[in-house]
Amino acid sequence: MRTRLLRVGSLIAAVALVFAACGPSGSASSSPAAVASESAAPASTAPETASAAPGGVVELRWYCCLGGGEAPEQKTVEDKVVADFNASHPNIHVTFEVVTYDQANGQLTTEIQSGNGPDVVGPVGIGGANAFHGQWLDLAPLIAKTNYDLSGFPANVVDIYKLDEGQVGIPFAIYPSALFYKKGMFDEAGLKEPPHKYGDKYTMPDGSQVDWNYDTALKVAKLLTVDKNNKDATQAGFDPKKIAQWGLELQRDDLRGMGAYFGPGKLASGDGKTVAIPDAWKAAWKYYYNAIWTDHVSLTGPQFESKDINPKDYPFFNGHTAMSENFLWSTYGVGDAGDDWNLAAVPSYNGTATAAFNADTFRILKGSKHPDEAFTFLTYLLGDASADLLTAYGGFPARTANQAAGIAALQAQFKNTVDWQVAVDGIDHADKPNFEDFMPAYNESLGLVGSGGKYLTKWGNSAGLDMDKEITSLQTDLQAIWDKAP
Amino acid sequence: MASVPIQPVKPRNVGQRRWLRRPSLGRTALARHEARWGLIFLSPWLIGFLAFTLFPMIASLAFSVTNISLAQDQPLRFVGLENFQRMLADKQTWESLAVTFRFAAFNLPIAIVIPFVVALVLNSRYLKGVGIFRTLFFMPYVIPFVSGLLAWQGMLNLETGWVNEFLRIIGIQNPPNWLQDTTLIYPSLAFIGLWGIGAGVIVNLAGLKGIPSELYDAARIDGAGWWASLRNVTLPMMSPVIFYSLILGIVDVLQYFLVPLVLYNGTGEPGGSTLFFNLVIYKQAFNFQNFSYGATLAWLLFGITLAITLVVFRTSRRWVYYAGER
Repeated sequence: MRTRLLRVGSLIAAVALVFAACGPSGSASSSPAAVASESAAPASTAPETASAAPGGVVELRWYCCLGGGEAPEQKTVEDKVVADFNASHPNIHVTFEVVTYDQANGQLTTEIQSGNGPDVVGPVGIGGANAFHGQWLDLAPLIAKTNYDLSGFPANVVDIYKLDEGQVGIPFAIYPSALFYKKGMFDEAGLKEPPHKYGDKYTMPDGSQVDWNYDTALKVAKLLTVDKNNKDATQAGFDPKKIAQWGLELQRDDLRGMGAYFGPGKLASGDGKTVAIPDAWKAAWKYYYNAIWTDHVSLTGPQFESKDINPKDYPFFNGHTAMSENFLWSTYGVGDAGDDWNLAAVPSYNGTATAAFNADTFRILKGSKHPDEAFTFLTYLLGDASADLLTAYGGFPARTANQAAGIAALQAQFKNTVDWQVAVDGIDHADKPNFEDFMPAYNESLGLVGSGGKYLTKWGNSAGLDMDKEITSLQTDLQAIWDKAP
Repeated sequence: MASVPIQPVKPRNVGQRRWLRRPSLGRTALARHEARWGLIFLSPWLIGFLAFTLFPMIASLAFSVTNISLAQDQPLRFVGLENFQRMLADKQTWESLAVTFRFAAFNLPIAIVIPFVVALVLNSRYLKGVGIFRTLFFMPYVIPFVSGLLAWQGMLNLETGWVNEFLRIIGIQNPPNWLQDTTLIYPSLAFIGLWGIGAGVIVNLAGLKGIPSELYDAARIDGAGWWASLRNVTLPMMSPVIFYSLILGIVDVLQYFLVPLVLYNGTGEPGGSTLFFNLVIYKQAFNFQNFSYGATLAWLLFGITLAITLVVFRTSRRWVYYAGER
């Protein structure tokens, strides 16, 4: 009897496990469902379908966090913002839903596909929103209907949200780029600081005035790259295996973004279906590869991944990197670099300086059953609530009139005096089209060119690659994905 | 003393289907009462299984014949076997299956043999401080797997990992890039997997403890040494546990997912060697927003897993010995 029960029990257990291969699994270690349950933070409120409750109160759902906003201190502000709105709008009731960043994309996908999508989504960046291309509401009719004033925003920033889907967003927070640098390291090497104004020349150690471009930046970076024997990368006997200080770090979150610092562009050609990698981007990728493996001024992939060398995601934060291109949102961790950092103009390529640009805002889903009320809430987030939210998110105001206050708020976080005007000037050098522009099979394509993508990983980990072949391979892989796209 | 060849314990009634006969549970009032309470106690699991596994499975079957996808702006419609045709024509399906089977062939024997060997050692009467060793082997199992993975990622780092630091100390100046070298990646992943063998060790240890000592005494009297006892007593008596470990191991390795997702962000690097099939399912359904296609792939995995499991069950009659079986 016991044996029979044991065998039947084993069979049932095995079938259940096999079933679990197809459905949500209880296995703690190996299934997608397990990951979801391990890392998804509980939503503050169970999803509800937007509907008009009895008494004429419209129910709206605000979905966060496809790009920040999940930290407890941020949620406190967001909850207050919602409470204030609900108190001042008796006909609308907003429910705030937090889903952690790592699960937010998957859960929103599921909600939309099951016809249970929220109304307002954000803060979300351009790339994060493009992951849901075709799902966003064109705000143009609502802007016209309510006479919403867009004149307070820089025109080129408003235009970022003008897509084939329509005017899908209104600017909220912007993150221009700059070159972060450590003044102390320049002083120690006897080098002049990089120029703060776009177009200014750089003074080399021999006193000559040269363009502040990527060639110059590389020369300077070599002088700032130092091994454990205190030899810089231009000196005989320099040991690239024992580097103690790196000269230059490009922004390596996304190959497109890395390319955008060398010139604006996008991967899709005019027909929208053929991959056409801009020449400037190819040059940027080769520069990045050589900076790691030939010039040794940037961290290798394993060094970048090492928590001992790069504990907080961006090498500049560890205080051992002299120059680093990054967006203004990186001020969240730059304090760890010490009290001697400042901002400079990003170098130019072929005579033009391009400061890659990030922007976050809130959007309304096309499937919202209450677009008018959702727009009312959206304009509240961009208006009355914006100061609190921008502070909570560490965002720089898109609205020109608020930028002085934004700078004051940023400066208050640091002991050193930072030349924030460099970042403001970077807005005029923003890449247009934006590097996160839509491309076919957007999410699948990111697996090749996006954060942690295949080629970034490979190039960071493999010396001796033929970069021309690599770029051709990337183009072929990408085209294969696009050709399969519906 | 010359060892006397002994007869292995012969499985009895192997191959007969007695276990499939209708059980006699319902014959008495007491048995019916017990069965009823058994079902009541099982009901939370049964309800959970129906609601969160069986129903989603049926739903996923329905998805697989529709066109649910955010990537296209088309209304929901029945597409028949279109997704299955796409799956069969998709190079990635076969590549990722090949990756999964290659890793399974490498990892499965290790995942079964090592816990068994460790349990044998821990069961040895000559080992001092058994309790400490048991605790040490089980401790990693209670640490959240993702945290453990991140720790391993650090330990196997080319530049600053402890493993390579040690190799440099003993004179290997160019240690390998464990997690980025296509020739070393499966040994590295298997190595990481061994870190969590605590549960397997405990199961094997429980099995070893359950073997009656009289069998060993009898074997010794017959002149059996350590090897003969292992081969003729331990292995047959442990065969149900090995069978259990094998089934779980097969299901686990076919669902291999978390490690490549955490270590490589699901990119399949290095060189596509970590693009496991379950990862492709997840990416299609939740990253690329192709629910229907993801569901279709999941059904292929279900079919493969079921087929392999049934084959193993079928063969079990030849090699699994149930001591209590009549």
